[in-house]
Amino acid sequence: MKRVLLLLVLFLAGFCHHTAAQTHHLYVAAESEDKVYQLAFDARSGEGDIRDSIAVGQFPTENEGPHGINVGIEGDYWFLSLAHGNPYGWLYKFTTGGNKFVSRTELGMFPASMEMSKVTGLLYVVNFNLHGDMEPGTVSVVDPRAMTVVSEITTGIMPHGSRMSEDGRYQYHVSMMTDELIEINASALKISRRLSVAPEESASASSAANPPGKTEAIAQPTWVDPHPTQGLVYVANNKSNEIVEVDTQRWEVSRRYNTGKAPYNLEISHDGQWLVASYKGEGATGIWNLQSGKEVARITNSRRIPHGVAIAPDSRYAFISVEGIGGEAGSVDVIDLQALQRVEVIEVGKQAGGIVYWKTTY
Amino acid sequence: MKLFQHSLLSAACACLLLFVVTSCYGQQSDSNYRIAVIPETLSLEVDETARLTGTVRDAGGNAVHDSVFFYSLSRESVSVSRSGLVKGLQPGTFELQAYALTPGNQRLTATIPVEVSFPPITDIAFTGRPGRMYADTRRPVTLSVTDAKGFDRNPGEVTLTSSDSSVAYVDNFGQLHAKKPGAVTITAQAGEATARRRTEVVVNPVTTIELTRKGEQQTRTGDVVRFTASPKNAEGRVIDDMPVEYSLAAQPDNNRGEASPAQVKEDGRFVARKPGTYTVLARAGTVFAEQTIGVEARDIQREVEVVGHALVGDVHTSDLWVWEGVDGNDYAVTGTWGGNGEAYFWDVTDPANMTIIDTVTVDARTVNDVKISEDGRVGVITREGASDRKNGIVILDVRNPHEVEIISEYSEGLTGGVHNAFIYEDHVYAVNNGRRYDIIDISDPGNPETVSRFELDTPGHAVHDVWVEDGIAYSSNWDDGVVAVDVGSTPAADSPETHEVGTGSPENPVQLGSYSYPSGWNHAAFPFRSQSTGDFYVIAGDEAFPNGLFVQDKPTIPAGWIHFIKFEGGWDHPKEVARYRVPEAGTHNFWVKGDTLYVAYYNAGLRVVDISGELMGNLYEQGREIARFVPTHHRGRIPNAAMSWGPHPYKGYIFVSDWNSGLWALKLTD
Repeated sequence: MKRVLLLLVLFLAGFCHHTAAQTHHLYVAAESEDKVYQLAFDARSGEGDIRDSIAVGQFPTENEGPHGINVGIEGDYWFLSLAHGNPYGWLYKFTTGGNKFVSRTELGMFPASMEMSKVTGLLYVVNFNLHGDMEPGTVSVVDPRAMTVVSEITTGIMPHGSRMSEDGRYQYHVSMMTDELIEINASALKISRRLSVAPEESASASSAANPPGKTEAIAQPTWVDPHPTQGLVYVANNKSNEIVEVDTQRWEVSRRYNTGKAPYNLEISHDGQWLVASYKGEGATGIWNLQSGKEVARITNSRRIPHGVAIAPDSRYAFISVEGIGGEAGSVDVIDLQALQRVEVIEVGKQAGGIVYWKTTY
Repeated sequence: MKLFQHSLLSAACACLLLFVVTSCYGQQSDSNYRIAVIPETLSLEVDETARLTGTVRDAGGNAVHDSVFFYSLSRESVSVSRSGLVKGLQPGTFELQAYALTPGNQRLTATIPVEVSFPPITDIAFTGRPGRMYADTRRPVTLSVTDAKGFDRNPGEVTLTSSDSSVAYVDNFGQLHAKKPGAVTITAQAGEATARRRTEVVVNPVTTIELTRKGEQQTRTGDVVRFTASPKNAEGRVIDDMPVEYSLAAQPDNNRGEASPAQVKEDGRFVARKPGTYTVLARAGTVFAEQTIGVEARDIQREVEVVGHALVGDVHTSDLWVWEGVDGNDYAVTGTWGGNGEAYFWDVTDPANMTIIDTVTVDARTVNDVKISEDGRVGVITREGASDRKNGIVILDVRNPHEVEIISEYSEGLTGGVHNAFIYEDHVYAVNNGRRYDIIDISDPGNPETVSRFELDTPGHAVHDVWVEDGIAYSSNWDDGVVAVDVGSTPAADSPETHEVGTGSPENPVQLGSYSYPSGWNHAAFPFRSQSTGDFYVIAGDEAFPNGLFVQDKPTIPAGWIHFIKFEGGWDHPKEVARYRVPEAGTHNFWVKGDTLYVAYYNAGLRVVDISGELMGNLYEQGREIARFVPTHHRGRIPNAAMSWGPHPYKGYIFVSDWNSGLWALKLTD
């Protein structure tokens, strides 16, 4: 029995030690630098650094704009969307850690955010078409092993914020210019439901019934993230300055939160306690306690334009990419969700945008 | 207490054990499932359909459920619906994927190989000239081959035979050799498809060949000399339909390991790369004629004098424009790349002392292009990487280049970024997100208005740059090559054919012609009419980085060259006739003035090239390069690394912007 006790003590001691000594690894894309940075944040020292910088793209004298980034479900590869091509953008595939280019495939106009489904193993990339006419966009579905587009799903105007439900059965994105939350059945590769997220008094004005080119988006949602354990998804309404909670069972808006100016990205912590949102219009990050429904902190960012949000699996730290303006360097702000304060700023390239948590090491 | 501790420990260990056992059991359980697809492989004809059915089965082979979905890894060659309806679209070997979930929500996949067979060849037709040949001549057999689905097939799949090889035979390269008078039938066969052509071999009447030349008697390297062979019979009559082959024997002055120093085309045009003595031979059957020609060195090289240099070492420099201001002084504007959205205005009246007199800063990371109107009053700079992602163009009042003012910012429909722009007659031609160019009326520069767009309709089309001259816009379009568009052509417009002036307008751009080439590297275009020959060319320039581009720390080795395209016989008949290709280097922007080409050849610096006379072959190897200057600076953005971006010949000087070292003023010396 003493031996068992000793093993358990060692196990628990080791567990506690690991929690304190863990290092968080991330990738962040710098859209106007055509680079991706591999970052590490040492939780013990509170210091972050750049472990690698990876030049991306094919036309170096033109800005190709690495925008969305994510790590595959197996963790072996990271995937990157390049917004500008000739004229269509691209999806790139790199090995994690070694950061070796593997292959690429052409997508639609301004491919942006993406996530892979546990169910299908496919990658769902929204083509934001930020610079095109006001016409329905697409979601490119890619087999990440073959790096081949297997389906193009027509969706709303300027789709953005591709995120999967925890079980991988549904993909959620928003249609910025029709004020909609859109759900895709990941297996059937079809849109299963649409919901207006515009403020109620204006929902009719911005419904999908508007003819293309004549929409008057009131909410202009830019991001969505499903709750990890509950049947809820959260939408950032960039124009109407609110975060909308949608009950996916009843498929209706269940709560609305007034936020700072122009919420852009958001992420729910893995324990479901926190919602962290970047307020692009006021250079700040909002921390919300989802249980109380209150914003518990609004933290000024290191630059004026916060962009993406990634939260560590232990729900302790949030990492915010911050763009900067003009020649100003971008950055990644590290926010301690217990202390509710910014604890580190990691300098990266211009217009830091897409950001993804990769792994924890001890 | 001891009992409590013991119980707690036991419970903890049990939980750990349960967790481990459950995890292992779960994995084993799910690994026993598989997707069973019927059939496991498919062989289809083009347009044939088949149905796949999939079920998830357990270790015992029992069906668990049939929620299996399918997709194709080659959608354009074989399609499949989610439920498994397959259709062959193109011949080849492809893969379909099936995926499903186990009862424990683990993902299962299966691969279904699909073979879509090539349809049988059903139609073979002889093309080219009719079946009559002179003895002792040869010509290629040309065929048109199509299959049952209408696809063009490779003539190499066809077997060619002769009914009498002693009269005529077909060699392994598809050439038909006529040996002696007689008649043969040439049979082309592939599977069940057959075509026959009767060929008559007649006596070769040629007894002599008259070989004449046209061109300068004093021939220099790079000069094109036209040889004409006239095969004649014993009565002195010219046999017009006798095929003539040209070849040459070379004796270059420097014959130490020299490669082929000259070339002669199938139409008799000759050009030498190296000085020497050359003998051109013309053959018609067994009859030969020859003529010897001496070629001297072109000897046109000149020195370059550096008149002035203004170092820009903290940011990459992009495009350049030089103009005479309304005050009579000379000015230049340069853009910046990957910086803080700045455009620098320079006083270059004294090129030996070029100084920045004003800086315009806009919300952008790259101000790639800068242009000034012909009257020197309005400027346009392009924006990429704006922090609000609304890029577009910025219109400037440059009447006083010491105090440039922003008149307006215009991003209507241009938010994706404008890489290049051109100003022509109160309109801006702005390349829109690399997809099309927008034509914007700036007659009221404070209120610009888009009046039209020009966009190709080819798959995956793109545009990189546009240049307008006398109402014709010449755009460079990567894979789609150069495209000429009438946007209000004037009587002075260069054209390879008589066309109706003003066919198009800014509001109604009308495509005239185009030319593309296999590399798909077309990056710039410039029209030019040779002052020495009157020939009209469109010059296409490449941009390519097969070796990557290094923004910070080391030199880059780009690739690409200059293509000379002649539209002989009209816009519908483009032909690439010559190139200027510097080895181990890559082109960027260029300019033609008179019969001289100025190329910013990235790592090879500025090149000044004589493009007078007829052009054929690689001008670089013909001694046509007048001068070169490779700009570097030890405090450059990348030290000691040339990356010349744009040239502008102006008032006897050559201004050059260099990506790494800023602005240069050069002059050719005698």
